[in-house]
Amino acid sequence: MPTEIEIRSLSKWYGKQQVLKGITTDVNRGEALVVIGPSGSGKTTLLRCINLLEEFQEGEIRIAGEPMGYSVDAGGKRVRRSEAEIARMRAKLGMVFQSFNLFPHMSALKNVALGPVRVLGTPRKEAAEQARAMLARVGLADKADATPAQLSGGQQQRVAIARALAMKPKAMLFDEVTSALDPELVAEVLDVMRQLVQEGMTMVIVTHEMAFAQAFAHRALFMAEGEIVEQGEPTRLFSDPQSPRLQAFLKRFKEGYQL
Amino acid sequence: MAVDFTFLTRVAPALAEGLTNTLTLAAAAIVLAAAWGVPVVMALLSRYRTVSGLAQAYVEVVRNTPILVLMFFIFFGSGFAGYPLSGFVAGLIALVLQNGAYAAEIYRGGIRAVSQRMPEAGMALGLTPRRSFGLIVLPIALRNVIPPLSNQGVMVIKDTSIAATISVAEITFKARLLADSTAAVFEIFFTLALFYLAITAIFSGAMRLLEWRVRIA
Amino acid sequence: MDVLFQALPQLAKGTVTTLYLAAASVVLSTVLGLVLAILQLYGGIILRALVEIYLYIVRGVPLLVMLFTMYYALPYANIRIEPNSGGIVVIGAYFAAFMAEVFRGAVLSVPRGQWEAARAVGLRTPRILLDVVLAQATRVAGPPYINTCIMVVKGTSLVSIIGLMDVTYVGKQIVERTLAPFEIFGAVALVYFTLCFALSRLGRYLESRVNYAY
Repeated sequence: MPTEIEIRSLSKWYGKQQVLKGITTDVNRGEALVVIGPSGSGKTTLLRCINLLEEFQEGEIRIAGEPMGYSVDAGGKRVRRSEAEIARMRAKLGMVFQSFNLFPHMSALKNVALGPVRVLGTPRKEAAEQARAMLARVGLADKADATPAQLSGGQQQRVAIARALAMKPKAMLFDEVTSALDPELVAEVLDVMRQLVQEGMTMVIVTHEMAFAQAFAHRALFMAEGEIVEQGEPTRLFSDPQSPRLQAFLKRFKEGYQL
Repeated sequence: MAVDFTFLTRVAPALAEGLTNTLTLAAAAIVLAAAWGVPVVMALLSRYRTVSGLAQAYVEVVRNTPILVLMFFIFFGSGFAGYPLSGFVAGLIALVLQNGAYAAEIYRGGIRAVSQRMPEAGMALGLTPRRSFGLIVLPIALRNVIPPLSNQGVMVIKDTSIAATISVAEITFKARLLADSTAAVFEIFFTLALFYLAITAIFSGAMRLLEWRVRIA
Repeated sequence: MDVLFQALPQLAKGTVTTLYLAAASVVLSTVLGLVLAILQLYGGIILRALVEIYLYIVRGVPLLVMLFTMYYALPYANIRIEPNSGGIVVIGAYFAAFMAEVFRGAVLSVPRGQWEAARAVGLRTPRILLDVVLAQATRVAGPPYINTCIMVVKGTSLVSIIGLMDVTYVGKQIVERTLAPFEIFGAVALVYFTLCFALSRLGRYLESRVNYAY
């Protein structure tokens, strides 16, 4: 399988504090990678670096072979690419946020159609049809005209997934997408994500849903203090953790509370 | 003191002669101030320190000067400089200069009130920061600013009365003329107050309707 | 510039009047505003309705119209009042409405949960009001209160129209005599600017002090 996302020696600092310490990993096409770890481990920051919602100072990210965010000029200096180029790269990645971040002044349909119309230049009528299809795919065909405020959290998050899918992305990034949901609404969102895994979508999923990770992810990656501590096939990783930190993390999880 | 309310019917038509001037001045001042606020807020939010600093200084100066003094300055100043402006134009300029600054601050507040996550969500879709601002942040911010703009508009309507001092023949001016020539001063100013109450009530009612029409359900 | 120099003593006299009018109006509007806010928050239904009507009128009628009403109408009602005091009463009563909104908004900004939490600890109503609600409300009220004070200072300029000899009135008299509007009105504007700007700085200073204390 070809590599969709390459991450090489990625390092990031907030002032003097280093929050990512030389992360290196690849995400293959069709792979569902789950990133777990305690809060403050840098997992969300890593995800946000992939589509450059966070800047990073060292290392390199490539999407389908093309460098994200920065390029190296003739003199070997690292320069930030233009906003237009960065925007074009971001359009290849779908992002779903913890707090949904739907546009409150637009209907579900317009939320989904905005990207295709404004970024891809799809004609409005065609984009609206596609948007309807996307909403049907996440089980919300009847909510096309609803505004975000009229939808439950689970429905909003499914619209957000449809919005990202409408861009026909090469990969999808999920940032703790079920953390802000009431427990009874989590399943409907995970169902949609499971479906995407089965359809072969490339996905990077930051989550606390261990059962989901174990059942559907191809690989799990455990981060702590800005480093990858351990990774592997989820079932093996969770049943037979090697590092003390992952052991402690999993133990706390089983006991029912998180750090 | 005997109050003769039948006088109302005689006062109201006389005051109404000034109504056109009041309404024209208020409407022009509100529209132009709202428009002038746009370049001012752009300057306030500019990346360039000099530009934002100058804009901030402008806002501070016109906000901390009474509208009456601004009107005097422009009205008498323009005459002295050899380009005499009519009271109407001088009053309009003063109102726009001051309320444009207020409008800019209202816009700034409206933009700040939009969550930082909104432009981010737009950028994640592949919009450049500029387009994300225009397509997402701005439409939300514009809804936020309707109520404070409406309040400021009411202030503008009330402040048009001050243009009477630079001989704009609006309703307060007419009322004062009437008061000088008759004894029924209480009735005159009572009627005048009713005029302003009616104008401001209609204006804020219309703004509330607009707010309701573009509300985020 | 010579014109300005010669006008300085008169302008200074006008400034003193403006200062006096402004200080007295700020005090009066603050006190009246507090009373109105308390009535609005804790008064009976009739009192509350009366306050609402009062606020509605003030929000919709220009200050200048109120000043005219008093100065033209009061003599007919055989009420004699010293002009400066009359101006202070009208300006104070007018801006009291704005002050009331500031105070009321600040008290309402303290969430109900704070009352409940304080009750749960066993505090009694006066204690809660003082230590919990007002302690937080004063911080919320600070910036809008200063803004309203600035409105009061600027509002005092309108008394010049009814013949009180504040700095705006004096300025206009001098301009009519000397035909030097830029210098004189510039100086007048500077007086107000200095006052208002000082107020807003003071507000910012107090804000930082209060925030620091907590």
